Amino acid sequence: MKNAPVTHVTGTLLMTALLVLSLAFAVQGAFETQAQIAGTFAREAQIQQAQILLEEMLRLQIDEENSLRGYSLTRDPFYVGQYRQAAAGFDGKEAAIRAVLSKQQMAGPRRLLHQYSDLQNQWRSGVAGPLLAYPTQRLVELDKRNKVFSDYETRTVAAIRAALADTDSELVQSTALQLNRTSYLRAIWVLIFGILAILFNVYGSRLNRELEQERTVTQILQKAFRSESMPLPHCEVGSAYLSATSHLAVGGDVFDVYRLSSNRALVLIADISGKGVDAAVLTAFIKFMVRAIAVRHDDPAKMLSEFNVAFSKAVGDPYLFVSMFVGLLDTATFRLDYGSAGHDCTFLRRRGQVRQLAVTGPVLGVMEEPFSSETIELEPDDMLVLSTDGLTEVRNRKGKPLLASGAAELIAAGSEHAQRLADELVDAVRARGGVRVRDDLAILTVRVLDKEHDGG
Amino acid sequence: MGKSAVALVLLWLTAVAPAGADCSVHRGMHVVLYSTTDDPSVLLWDSRARLRDYNAASFDEAQAMLPHAILVAPDTRAMVVSCVPNYVESPIFHQADAVGVVITSGPQRGLTRWVLGSDVRAEPAAQP
Repeated sequence: MKNAPVTHVTGTLLMTALLVLSLAFAVQGAFETQAQIAGTFAREAQIQQAQILLEEMLRLQIDEENSLRGYSLTRDPFYVGQYRQAAAGFDGKEAAIRAVLSKQQMAGPRRLLHQYSDLQNQWRSGVAGPLLAYPTQRLVELDKRNKVFSDYETRTVAAIRAALADTDSELVQSTALQLNRTSYLRAIWVLIFGILAILFNVYGSRLNRELEQERTVTQILQKAFRSESMPLPHCEVGSAYLSATSHLAVGGDVFDVYRLSSNRALVLIADISGKGVDAAVLTAFIKFMVRAIAVRHDDPAKMLSEFNVAFSKAVGDPYLFVSMFVGLLDTATFRLDYGSAGHDCTFLRRRGQVRQLAVTGPVLGVMEEPFSSETIELEPDDMLVLSTDGLTEVRNRKGKPLLASGAAELIAAGSEHAQRLADELVDAVRARGGVRVRDDLAILTVRVLDKEHDGG
Repeated sequence: MGKSAVALVLLWLTAVAPAGADCSVHRGMHVVLYSTTDDPSVLLWDSRARLRDYNAASFDEAQAMLPHAILVAPDTRAMVVSCVPNYVESPIFHQADAVGVVITSGPQRGLTRWVLGSDVRAEPAAQP
């Protein structure tokens, strides 16, 4: 049973790690696909640019030929200028395409482009040159050569077009293939991710169900261990509890206000050495044990003696002890008989003055020594404040404890109402001790009212 | 005697075959010569074999063949006298007809030559 939380944590961490891993692979696959598509688009754009430049080159080649033809027919130098401009443009476009093809490492189209450029240069020297030099001589053979150049350049351009189209097609096919491959991989990862998510969900649900069951059990147990205060006639009762175990509402302190008869009540507060669940288990034992003893005894000293014996035998742990204040209050006469087994955090406020109630014996569970009792005749507006050492031992930031004197000052300045005073004391402990409370704290306040008041 | 008859039939069939249904033009058809839009002037060859060789030749080989060709201006008229379907293998057209024509306009009028099927267009008036 002790290993269960460890298993839960390990299981949760493992599932989370697998989930994150598969999610990371799925996301990485998506990025990879995006990069592939972006790469393909970039290459396609380059190929399209080369195709456009090629068509522009072809147009400039025809411009060159037409300009030459124009000069040959008219002898107008304007056409020579047009010819030279077209020739310069042709060479510029050729350089631009060559750069694109080199960048994209397209060897085939680059070789054909070189051939095309070479043909055009040959045409310039073999056809255009003689015609520019001797425009009046119209040679049939030159025209035929011109036609051959034209045919071969057309063929070369067609071959470059086809090569670019083939490269484009290959690029699209290879990208499609890669995309298919990565899509399958991604689909597998997404599938794994989905399955893990479902498993994680099932695991989480099971874990939550178990935690819910544990929480229910804890709540039932807490109810059994919780300190209780019943309303008393002609009295106002307040209480507060602060556990040092932050996620639990139980601890090693306990108080109890229990009506033994119509005008007789048990007032109890005790502090068990230790804290947490182990100490809380004992509080239930103490609460019900003292109630049982109080039914048979009128004298708190006898009650403490009997409890001391029973506790030592039942617990059998020499290192475990309890400090306890037991009071028997007559609500008709306001007589309080009490015994204090090493429990010194009890106070009486009367007309603004606070005094600490005397300890009447040693702590319980250590040795079998006699206990004595004390009696106080309570008066209206008297405030009985019973607390555990969580009040007097709370330390400020400098490490200085509040002590009984500090507690007495707080009580003296506190509210006249029992519950409000209990809350104020808890707030003061929290303010002095910071966010974390180091010791359990139980506070029980009983204010005596006039006989006309019913209390509650 | 029998062998000679078979040979004659084969010869006749060979003569008839070029005007077969696979050609884009037929014998007696009036056409206009027009090449590609890049350079619409048309080369015509003294034999269909040279026509085929020209289209398969390298640039230098083509230059050497030029004495066997005449160049006519675009829009030159001609009449089809023969056609061999898919006779020419061309890197651009893959396969083209070899068309025998008699030139009917321009300085080369009356000459019979071979031309690429793709350089031959039906004369507008001759179209149905």
